[in-house]
Amino acid sequence: MINRKFLSLRNDYYRTLGLGLLIFVCTVPASHAAETGEQAERMEFFERKIRPVLTTHCLECHGPEKQHNGLRLDLREHLLRGGDGGPAVNLDDPDSSPLLQALRHETVEMPPDEKLPETVIADFRKWIAAGAVDPREAENPDLPISELAESHWSFQPLAEISPPATEATFPARSPVDHFLQATREAVGVKPVEAADRHTLIRRATWDLIGLPPTPDEVASFVSDDSPQAYERLIDRLLASPHYGERWGRHWLDVVRYADTAGETSDFPAPEAWRYRNYVIEAFNRDKPYDEFIREQIAGDILAQEEVADVSPERYAELITATGYLAISRRFGFDISKDHYLTIEDTIDTLGKSVLGLTIACARCHDHKYDPISAADYYALYGIFESTRFAFPGCEHDKRPRDLVPLVTAEQGERQLVPHTETLRAANERVARHQAEVQRLREILAEASSSEGEELLAGAIPNGGEERFPDQAEPRTVQRGDMLQLSILPNANHGADTTLVELEIRQVGGEGRIWNLTADLLGSFRETCDPGPWRVFDLQAGLTPFSRMIPDALNTEGLQLWHGAADLPSLALNSLDREIRFLTVTLPPRQVSLHPGPSGGVAVAWASPIEGQVTIRGRVANVDDSSGDGIVWSVAHRSGFGEQLQDVRGELLALESAQNEQAKLAAEAPAVPVAYGVTEGSPGHAQIHMRGDPQKLGAEVPRRFLELLGGEKVSPAESGSGRKQLAEWLTDPDNPLTARVLVNRIWQHHFGRGLVKTPNDFGLRGQPPTHPELLDWLAAELVNSGWSIKHMHRRIMLSAAYRQSSGSSSQASTIDPENQWYWRFERRRLDAEQIRDGMLAVSGRLDRSPGESHPFPPADQWSFTQHGPFAAVYETNRRSVYLMVQRISRHPFLGLFDGADPNTSTAARVNSTVPPQALYFLNAPFVHDQAAALADRLRQHSQDPRERTDQACRLLYGRPAEEADHQDAEQFFEAYLAELGSLDPAQRAIEAERAYARILLSSSEFLYVE
Amino acid sequence: MDKPDLRNRRQCLQSLVAGSVLWPSLLQEILADAGGGREENDPLAPKTPHFPPRAKNVVFLYMSGGVSHVDTFDHKPSLFKDHGKEVVVDHPETQNRPGYEKTFLKRPQWEFRPRGVSGTLVSDLFPHMGACVDEIALIRSMHTSHSNHYNATLGMHTGSFTVSRPSIGSWVSYGLGSENRDLPSFITIAPQTPYAGTQVWASDFLPPAYQGTRIIPGAEAMPNLTRRVPTQRRQELELEALARMNRRHLQMQDETAELSARIKTFETAFGMQMRMPEIFDLKQEADHTLDLYGLERDQVRGFGWQCLVARRLVERGVRFVELIDVGSSNNWDAHGDMKSHEPLARNVDRPIAGLLTDLKQRGLLNETLVVWTTEFGRTPFNNTADAPGREHHNWAFSSWLAGGGVKAGVVHGTTDEHGIRVAENPVHVHDLHATILHLLGLNHERHTFRHSGRDFRLTDVHGRIVHEILA
Repeated sequence: MINRKFLSLRNDYYRTLGLGLLIFVCTVPASHAAETGEQAERMEFFERKIRPVLTTHCLECHGPEKQHNGLRLDLREHLLRGGDGGPAVNLDDPDSSPLLQALRHETVEMPPDEKLPETVIADFRKWIAAGAVDPREAENPDLPISELAESHWSFQPLAEISPPATEATFPARSPVDHFLQATREAVGVKPVEAADRHTLIRRATWDLIGLPPTPDEVASFVSDDSPQAYERLIDRLLASPHYGERWGRHWLDVVRYADTAGETSDFPAPEAWRYRNYVIEAFNRDKPYDEFIREQIAGDILAQEEVADVSPERYAELITATGYLAISRRFGFDISKDHYLTIEDTIDTLGKSVLGLTIACARCHDHKYDPISAADYYALYGIFESTRFAFPGCEHDKRPRDLVPLVTAEQGERQLVPHTETLRAANERVARHQAEVQRLREILAEASSSEGEELLAGAIPNGGEERFPDQAEPRTVQRGDMLQLSILPNANHGADTTLVELEIRQVGGEGRIWNLTADLLGSFRETCDPGPWRVFDLQAGLTPFSRMIPDALNTEGLQLWHGAADLPSLALNSLDREIRFLTVTLPPRQVSLHPGPSGGVAVAWASPIEGQVTIRGRVANVDDSSGDGIVWSVAHRSGFGEQLQDVRGELLALESAQNEQAKLAAEAPAVPVAYGVTEGSPGHAQIHMRGDPQKLGAEVPRRFLELLGGEKVSPAESGSGRKQLAEWLTDPDNPLTARVLVNRIWQHHFGRGLVKTPNDFGLRGQPPTHPELLDWLAAELVNSGWSIKHMHRRIMLSAAYRQSSGSSSQASTIDPENQWYWRFERRRLDAEQIRDGMLAVSGRLDRSPGESHPFPPADQWSFTQHGPFAAVYETNRRSVYLMVQRISRHPFLGLFDGADPNTSTAARVNSTVPPQALYFLNAPFVHDQAAALADRLRQHSQDPRERTDQACRLLYGRPAEEADHQDAEQFFEAYLAELGSLDPAQRAIEAERAYARILLSSSEFLYVE
Repeated sequence: MDKPDLRNRRQCLQSLVAGSVLWPSLLQEILADAGGGREENDPLAPKTPHFPPRAKNVVFLYMSGGVSHVDTFDHKPSLFKDHGKEVVVDHPETQNRPGYEKTFLKRPQWEFRPRGVSGTLVSDLFPHMGACVDEIALIRSMHTSHSNHYNATLGMHTGSFTVSRPSIGSWVSYGLGSENRDLPSFITIAPQTPYAGTQVWASDFLPPAYQGTRIIPGAEAMPNLTRRVPTQRRQELELEALARMNRRHLQMQDETAELSARIKTFETAFGMQMRMPEIFDLKQEADHTLDLYGLERDQVRGFGWQCLVARRLVERGVRFVELIDVGSSNNWDAHGDMKSHEPLARNVDRPIAGLLTDLKQRGLLNETLVVWTTEFGRTPFNNTADAPGREHHNWAFSSWLAGGGVKAGVVHGTTDEHGIRVAENPVHVHDLHATILHLLGLNHERHTFRHSGRDFRLTDVHGRIVHEILA
């Protein structure tokens, strides 16, 4: 299959790159026209006068090594193209040449240390005026990348390949084997024998589901005589829900999945897990890889397009898939400002994960090694700049937003209909009460328009006290008249709690006494009936206190009474002892008033009688910790007590209506959301000169990489262009996407890829060891409908995969690195396998899928760079469900070389370092799993030999051999002796746990053969 | 350096592994052989640098939060004189910030005195460090690329102000390996988590063997370092059985390097379990030594403890030791009140002077590079002259170097009359990094690692060695 489209487009690319050269060619016909003496003279002038100066004074900073301000002066072409500031020389107007201006110190001062002599500068002017003749192009052609790229293997169309012929005696099991055997025969290495069945099931199980096979699974496979036994094993494993947890993790490595945003405070992304589970599900269901990519790049757009046809589950899945983009890392204190770095991270991951290209290298300048220009980068940049990413929150702007609903707008509304109707009724009730409160307030304002007659007044300082005259003149009151004690803040608003006593005595008549304290203490709590007493806020008209809160502020016996705001308030100590709350000490069985921040509070006695009364009372400051005291007064006012009561009644009704409204609002069915992306405002990006977003260059139309066709986002496209990008990425003619994926699949089966740089198929990457095999696999992938499970079968059914990991001196002499696959390469378990394996054999593994993490609720987030989010959430679920953070590594995953959550991990490192051994020696997790494993073995059998056998079956996938029994016996004998002083039952338990620890730490458990 | 005889070492180990030698014997062999032979493929095997080094080890003293230069090492008489005068700056921390429409010079709150023979002026915040000025090369012209803690802290440690990159300690370990096989080559002693979290000591794309091991002063200084089984004898019995099983497994294999390396990690871990507490156990230190660091006997916290442990680590060949005094809060970030510098200065002043003195007395200073720095300085101005604090200031700050290869008793670079901008000989963070690598024998432009198709450097495309402060 010859890929004409890509070939022809690639030729376009070379034409574009060649443009610089073309310009150059057009400008030099003079030199071609006449190889005259004049020309030779100019050459000599350059060599004598110009080149030495450039070499001595300029090239250190403007040469092949460094290009300050993007300028190179080592080739004529560069002089003409110039740097960030445009061409360095102007042949039409030599004096306006930036190079000359810099030498003259007219603009910048070059060279920086010292101005060159005037004679030298004059030479430069003369040189430019004469056409800047400069021979330095032939000796150093500037297009090495394009030439190399033209023949670079990975940019070529997939070759149409048939498996090669091999020696007739070779027992191939799959076409894969013919490719491998052909190279083996060429170099003369002989493969080792096939692995035994115990090894095979253990290898395949760890490989496909990331867990050890159970003893029953091993037994049934080993005893299955059918020729299809192995094939059935692979099918069973591929059908396991644990398959996606293992292979989805490989993809999560590549897309640097994390549960936090990674900016300076590492804000949680609580909905990211949905994307993680989407990936796991996609692998379990063998979602075709092209579809998988399209959904991750443009799921939201597909969802909108298909909205009429898709099920709610499908809609949610498509939205969730775009988590691929949303989990891009965020940067800085205010992530909106550094969004250009987030887009770089998106492009970097996109390039590496799908295409195996390091596109992000072209953010600051054209890629130094691959045919990727800065214009390519900003063409893609425009697509993502036209996309709205979910906002995770950051120190500067703490609340998440722009999360994407998992239901359509219409579905969302439909879900909300019944609720909306109830809520509407509640809203109407609130409005009615508000209107009534307003009406009654107007009546109250009318009734209380007169300030009345001030009888007494005073001021007390902080901590002060004052009593009203004991023998006051009796006042004559009409029924309904008010005697009002007002407490107001002094100059400073920090007015504070004031103890008040007020007593009204009838002169003559029945001689009744109304005591504020006694009356409130007597009736308030039980009946909420304040009798003749009215308490109200003096600010903004009069507002009667409506709320009564028993045992307020979690303080027993403290009754608070206030209006809609917390202050002003009345506080009542109903106990026989002091109450302390906040900074206040309230004496036993007393009432206090606290003014508002900018206005007073009053308590009034509404007269139930006609006659004469005396007034006595006391005010005392009971909080000397703040404020500057209060002013107080007693006034005699005409009656408005009834109107106050009316307002109060209506306020209570309003409050209850509002409570109901709030409750209903809170009960609104929550629309589930995803950490995904949606379309933003479409537009083209401008090149950021040298990567600086403040220095904008030319606008670049949104398009794909020139290297891969450079197709533009259609002018008819009203969105970001992601949908087209998704199509270009998964076009079967694109030579990279399929190759990169099959290489990853191969890599995880054999420990390394056919291309050993799985994220870099560019010119600096390694060439494939088996190019034909790679292309055959890639074609197989495309032809199978992009089925990853098909590829597993293709590869795992090969003889190569079923080889033993044994030795061969013949082969290891020729090929010590095993690059021709003459045996299976032994591998250490990776971080997740180690943890999951220990949980599996201890019997503690929770096999249910993980969902969200127990993050604190978003409305409580106050993370800063001084106190960033940091947590480790324990779980017995599989490690793929662990919460992983960006700025702090998960302690376990970090120790055992888990994926880097900040950048695409192409391959795990699998180091062997002493802190890992310390972990096995002393970590509580290991000790806990060992204890559980010991219990499990004890329950299995009374017989020590049977326990050892079961241990070997659980951990190593094989029955115990005599040597295992000897090891165990020797250990138990010595260890039990050492435990001599303990009681026998305890000794046995201790020794069994110690033995379990040894097993969990053993190489045989932690390596796959 | 002699090349360790790998073959003999390997044979010796294999014979131990293959024979019936019990664990305690193995242990003795390890203990007798610290710093000795190496396995093949050991990423931490000592490496020869590009050219002969002037220093073997680094102690990197990092003050978290931004130490005010004009209150410590950068004496500005005009700033005292011009207190209260308005100053117009287009500063990243004040531009478009409500309430900062105008800014005024603010005088330092501590007096400066000439110190040592060189007479370098150092403020009363650092009397003990001041007394050591004749040992140090003070740089008063540091500047950095970001005024935010996170970015500036990341920049000072990795050379990158945005994305994470390998820490300088990892780059040094990668370049030089370690001379002690029982200890990590890069250790960070940090009581609290710094800005930018564990990225500060992460190896990032460099191999994991080069990542920093964090020690937290206190009961369990390193994760999993405390033996969990009740007695050492019981642990030995477990390790002996494990070694026996692992070596039986090993014998069935053809290619042994990785598996025998794994067996060795248990030996090393056992060694670390014994040696690390030994390093933290200061009982053997003399009273006058403790006194140098301002340490009470049995004290296990504070910067004095960190400094003395740093000396003990350097003595044992740990390549790069970083000490972070505090974390990402309650640090030198004195927006509220410059007086908060006082307790922080007291915490570090005497211990640092003690470390320099102690290293010198033991003859270690000429092979140890000591670097004192912070992420940025603090503004010599504020929105009112009597504002008690200062803001972040990345345009200028002070750092110093001392020890191997460093010219002692010199001052390099100046700031303008008020300490706002660098006036002469600017030294960027990249330049400081280039200089540190240079002193260790590493050419910062050649010390690269291939990652993602590119050769990465600590100094990226920057870095100028500050030759003026080299001895």
